[in-house]
Amino acid sequence: METATREVYWNISHHWVMYVLLVPTMAVALYGVWRHVQRWRAGKPVVRFDRPVMRLKRLIRFGLLQISLWRDPLTGLLHAMLFWGFITLTAATTVVMIHEDLNIPLMQGRFYLYFQSLFVDVLGLLAIVGTLLAGLQRWVLRPRRLVFSGEASCLLLLVFTILVTGYLLEGWRIAVTDDPWGHWSPVGRVVADVSAAFVSDAGLRTAHVVVWWFHLVLVFGFIAWAPYTKMRHVLTAPLNIFTADLDSRAGTLKPLDFETAASFGVNSLEQFTWKELLDLDACTECGRCTDACPAASAGKSLSPRDIILDLQHQLHEADVSVLSAASKAASDPDSGPALPIIDTRPALSPESLWQCTTCAACVEACPVSIEQFPKILDMRRYLVMEEASLPPMLAEAVTSLEQRGHPFRGAQASRTDWTDGLDIPHFRDVEDPEVLLWVGCGGALVDRNQSSTRALARLLQKAGVRFGILGRDETCTGDPARRIGHEFLFDAMARSNVERLESAGVRTVVTSCPHCFHTFRNEYPQFGAHLEVFHYTTYLARLIGEGRLVIDPAVTESITLHDPCYLGRHNGITQAPRDLVGRVTGRPLKEMRQHGAQSFCCGGGGGMSFLEEEADTRVNIERARQVVETGADTVAVACPFCTTMLEDGLGAVSEERSVAVKDIAELLWDSVSSDSSDGDASTDHIDSSDD
Amino acid sequence: MKILVCLKQIPDPEVAPRDFRLDENNLIADPASAGLVTNIFCENALETALQLKEAAGGEITVLTFGPAEAEDVLRKALAVRADHAVHVINPGLLHPGSSGAACVLSAAIRKLGSFDLLMFGREAGDWGEGQTAGLVAEHLGLPFVAFVDSLQTTESGLHIVGQTDSGREELTAAGPVVVSITNSDANVPRIPKTRDIMMAHRRDITTWSLEDIDLTEDLVREAAGSVEVTELFIPEKDTTCEFITGDSADERIDAFARRIVDVIGSI
Repeated sequence: METATREVYWNISHHWVMYVLLVPTMAVALYGVWRHVQRWRAGKPVVRFDRPVMRLKRLIRFGLLQISLWRDPLTGLLHAMLFWGFITLTAATTVVMIHEDLNIPLMQGRFYLYFQSLFVDVLGLLAIVGTLLAGLQRWVLRPRRLVFSGEASCLLLLVFTILVTGYLLEGWRIAVTDDPWGHWSPVGRVVADVSAAFVSDAGLRTAHVVVWWFHLVLVFGFIAWAPYTKMRHVLTAPLNIFTADLDSRAGTLKPLDFETAASFGVNSLEQFTWKELLDLDACTECGRCTDACPAASAGKSLSPRDIILDLQHQLHEADVSVLSAASKAASDPDSGPALPIIDTRPALSPESLWQCTTCAACVEACPVSIEQFPKILDMRRYLVMEEASLPPMLAEAVTSLEQRGHPFRGAQASRTDWTDGLDIPHFRDVEDPEVLLWVGCGGALVDRNQSSTRALARLLQKAGVRFGILGRDETCTGDPARRIGHEFLFDAMARSNVERLESAGVRTVVTSCPHCFHTFRNEYPQFGAHLEVFHYTTYLARLIGEGRLVIDPAVTESITLHDPCYLGRHNGITQAPRDLVGRVTGRPLKEMRQHGAQSFCCGGGGGMSFLEEEADTRVNIERARQVVETGADTVAVACPFCTTMLEDGLGAVSEERSVAVKDIAELLWDSVSSDSSDGDASTDHIDSSDD
Repeated sequence: MKILVCLKQIPDPEVAPRDFRLDENNLIADPASAGLVTNIFCENALETALQLKEAAGGEITVLTFGPAEAEDVLRKALAVRADHAVHVINPGLLHPGSSGAACVLSAAIRKLGSFDLLMFGREAGDWGEGQTAGLVAEHLGLPFVAFVDSLQTTESGLHIVGQTDSGREELTAAGPVVVSITNSDANVPRIPKTRDIMMAHRRDITTWSLEDIDLTEDLVREAAGSVEVTELFIPEKDTTCEFITGDSADERIDAFARRIVDVIGSI
């Protein structure tokens, strides 16, 4: 039997014209790519090609397997169909090129039948299904997160037409040549049979020539146009995933060198790094960031997607020569912003920038590793440090941090009020201390949280942990300052805290607040700290594991859990809080719609707990509704800010159903004290106002 | 316009009540028990001055009389772009009071030369006397307007709007004038730009001793002598809660009204 193959051009003459057309096509496409590269190069330097193996692993995970797309199964499926179809068809075209132009006979035998015919045929069909599903999503389901642009619709129609005409060409060739291996291309075979039933061979030959050139023009048009559209993500997305920040967890911000920095924060395109500019071009307009954003979900104007897209428009509109010149002059602090961005477009208004809770849901949701909220923070830094322009209530929080070491203007409590009657020693007075209990401003100065802090301290006492506190010597870690954008103040607070802990001989810290935890664990190392840091949930779980603390299930109420952003998403700690709640109830908890790494912010991060929110767009009310939805009696929390935000939120939706907010430490202490004689915790919540 | 703003450093009025202590021997607030801040009304005065300067041009000199640590209030003023800072060091006088302070400030102002506008906070958050501005005006023989919350330059001079017991007064000052500033929505103190904070630490501050302004400790003590602190204590706040009972709403309202009359009668 003859070796299986097919003639490449068959019905087409003058195919040299294709090579002539390829020249301007590639020229236009490469010019588009080159322009992007030029723009990115205007950004500040940053090292992002080190540790190639780690980067390659990321690329496989997020670029090839696209794991984050599957959170929405429909999108995961349709994108995988398009993606693998695209790869396969590109590979098949490359095989044709090698076979025909390099004269290496690849297209024959089994490889021709199994891959070039059957596999390509099936994957191409899946790609068509993919475009149909994408059409279904874009034109019928219309999820709010998408950008409904003419460009996106055109691209989808273009891809669909290219795929369909490809099958017409294949089918008509099979029909006219009566291809003996035609059944290895099942879709082509069906097209052949259907076409042959209605049209003569001569008719099919003519149609084939016309559609072949049409198909070619569409494909070349697509290639030339792609870099100028969101299809550029075919190149920029993998590059962006590969060059992502390997060192920082999403919520970890970078320090500033105040002696050398030309600008404190960013208000001009050239003040971003090249990677941050690449971020802008990696965006696929999918809108997952805005969909996940708590502020946007609550109806505020903040939209991480639009921030990226508005910045992208600014970048594309910028004259490349102006951008390069600005980049060269960027080291001069007097040069000012050459290509200002803040307040130039709706998404970049200060009002929106001041709505971000720094929860990093946007970064977590982005399938192509764009860092949306660090850009918001860069712009906040500019507003606060270069312009001294920030909402008055945040200015008060900053002033209070500066003068009193805590952000709560008008706080009446002292740092040790909560210790009344508990005999908690100062760290310096503890012999051979195991840990420093870092109480935090939220745990010490806010009345509501004092009972949580008392419960935590009692649990540590019960477990026989040798611990102490800093009492009046404790000051804020600086987290609110850093997230409001006052890096200068944070810098000073961080340095003084690191020095204080060092001189006190502290090696292990247990924090009650996830914000303190995050700052100690991920940000103080930037200032030379070498501390072992625990959030109290992981520390208590460890004490239980070691048998030092025994918790019997004694709580009967049904419980749901709110994952604090700075514990779950920023630090990946989602299991310890669940284990602890499981200990006190002895059964699994009722999960909220959004939990774990996909948790929904309480609305209090990023300094936002110090702002008055508009009544109809409050984030904590959105979250409170999710709490109520679970039907649980109690929501367990592990953060003083979440506690007060959720209590406020639940208070506002209380007509639906009343749900209690309890810190996990309170739940554990309730459990411990209800079955032993030494506890008086059940009255503790009521009595705490007398402390 | 040449503007002078006097600033006072005081113990933080927002210190947690439980943390606040007195130095019983010296009859002062225990310096270790509360942080030191710029008196808020002085900050309101400085903010008003900064706005005037932005609107009409001019120069702002800030002046303080206090111990070495009081330099901090001057640095903060320089950070929001005051032009010059002068520090008269308090050699350790515990109770200069308004009279002593006015004596020192007036001497310093005489040495500094003439100003078009001299601004003070309406009172300080520590002793709350509210006398210094008026006494300085007396020393310098200048007109004085108290409780001012708005100042504007006009062709005929300074347009001054102040608060009085019975309403508001509007005045125009043609020559140099002393004003004490109260807080308003318009003079909420700004926060400094970071670069200005960094620059403020490198700026020069004129430091004078009492002798530099032709005074001695004894002279200041003499000036302050009209007021003597004999006792200092933290007032005890006593809160009691009482529930009014009664079978019907009318009875409870009746009992409530009687109780109010009792309480008022006993004061």
